[in-house]
Amino acid sequence: MTAVVGIGITPFGRHLDRTIAQLGATAARAALEDSGLTSAQVEAGYVANALGGMLFGDTTIGQGILAELGIRRVPVLNVENACTSGSSALWLAWNAIEAGQMDCAIVLGVEKMCVPGLGLINSGRSEIDTQLGLVTPASFAMRAMRHMHEFGTTRAQMASVVAKSRAHGARNPLALFQRQETVADVLAAPLVADPLTRSECCPIADGAAAVVLASDRLARQAPRAIRLNTAVLGSGSYENLADMVRWETDSRTARQAYERAGVGPEDIDLVECHDAFSIAEILHCEALGLCPAGEGGRLAAAGETSLGGRIPVNVSGGLLSRGHPVAATGVAQIVEIVMQLRGEAGARQVTGARTGLAQCMGGDRAGDTKSCTVAILSR
Amino acid sequence: MTGDTAHNVPAFAPDVFVEGAGGSALVGGHCRQCGSTWFPTAERCPEDGTRLEPIEIGRTGRLYSYTVVRTKAPFGLPEPYGVGYVDLDDVPLRVFMLLDPAQVDRLAIGAPVRLASATLGVGLNGEPCRRPYFTLLTDTQ
Ligand SMILES: [Zn+2]
Repeated sequence: MTAVVGIGITPFGRHLDRTIAQLGATAARAALEDSGLTSAQVEAGYVANALGGMLFGDTTIGQGILAELGIRRVPVLNVENACTSGSSALWLAWNAIEAGQMDCAIVLGVEKMCVPGLGLINSGRSEIDTQLGLVTPASFAMRAMRHMHEFGTTRAQMASVVAKSRAHGARNPLALFQRQETVADVLAAPLVADPLTRSECCPIADGAAAVVLASDRLARQAPRAIRLNTAVLGSGSYENLADMVRWETDSRTARQAYERAGVGPEDIDLVECHDAFSIAEILHCEALGLCPAGEGGRLAAAGETSLGGRIPVNVSGGLLSRGHPVAATGVAQIVEIVMQLRGEAGARQVTGARTGLAQCMGGDRAGDTKSCTVAILSR
Repeated sequence: MTGDTAHNVPAFAPDVFVEGAGGSALVGGHCRQCGSTWFPTAERCPEDGTRLEPIEIGRTGRLYSYTVVRTKAPFGLPEPYGVGYVDLDDVPLRVFMLLDPAQVDRLAIGAPVRLASATLGVGLNGEPCRRPYFTLLTDTQ
């Protein structure tokens, strides 16, 4: 069994005066201090960054960041897997410890992307779909249109996901957005891709998050260890015809995680999922089995996914309100769940939380996602 | 969006669509081994590795879903512009494609569409180029 024994995170927002390396080192150092372990005990580093190569020409940043913390000579991997870069790094570290290859690894996700001229994220400029106008909001807007068509989901229900997210974000000092927003406010924002308004699309941000993983042997000495029961990484099936509102890749990855952890949706006390868009959270809630297919909009509108509801989703504010520094997001989700399971989440604490689930997805190919991750943690 | 010709204007990418007297068609890849059809085409069938042969597909279909993108358009596309997934009539494929920019206010799921093409936007190097798009059948009859 593998445990999370240390967490560290920077506020998510605009860090114009800080480099990728500074952001990364801040989170990594905090995680190491929180673990009570020394840099000499860290046997490997997995460092996720998605955009540094494209934006700044920075590659293999992991070795430099970790060297500043005194983590040298050991294996260091730099990980890029779109929005699942951070959770893929976690998957690598979890596998190494589960396999008995090492007793301790550090996982860092770091992104600096608030720079002038950054356009909408797409899945690669040379891809045919991209050249035919497929930007990421369009991909989810088409899912939203189809969801409304098949299930009668309303724009107000989708907007309620954002209103809930803002209410959560206002309770998280690390979140980019700290202000409440009503359903009416969300719907009154400018349209980005019909039917999604700007408020229904997650904002970019700079930020970093890190966790220290340890084997049972080492975790026994850590008083606040949280078990990482399973970490699953899958890629798309790219089936044609792809059902855009019953997401096979999403539900397949969730099912694998539940099976491997020996739990079901009814055992989960809180979820951090990849709410890059309002409709995305609705689709993920359905794929994770929190409600039947087609019911995700009503689930959010009824308050069941709010703090204090039946199954709180994205109490951190999620991507929509905490902000989405691409490669940091997947690790930030783990940091949030660990805080919740330790009972250290302050104003957004889910009372008595014992088991949490984190879900991420990234990339776009043939109407499917390229990458999907689910991790389950418990105390 | 009609009336302009393909003279000297390159396609935005090779092996995606053809333009002829009979109208525009998409270029898929057909596998003789398993009978499957792929779009966009590839060198070999992902199922069995057989070399794919080009086949003209997708002159007509129905809109599975769509959106109108209202942010700054990439590749010099019109603002706003429509995109959608279209279920093709002739082969069991759901393909992503541009939609007629003149029809962004009339789109509906289930609507029958026909493939067209025009000089639309620019290519990777900023040069004007031809792109395929689906247009509502009801508007062209
Ligand atoms: Zn074949």
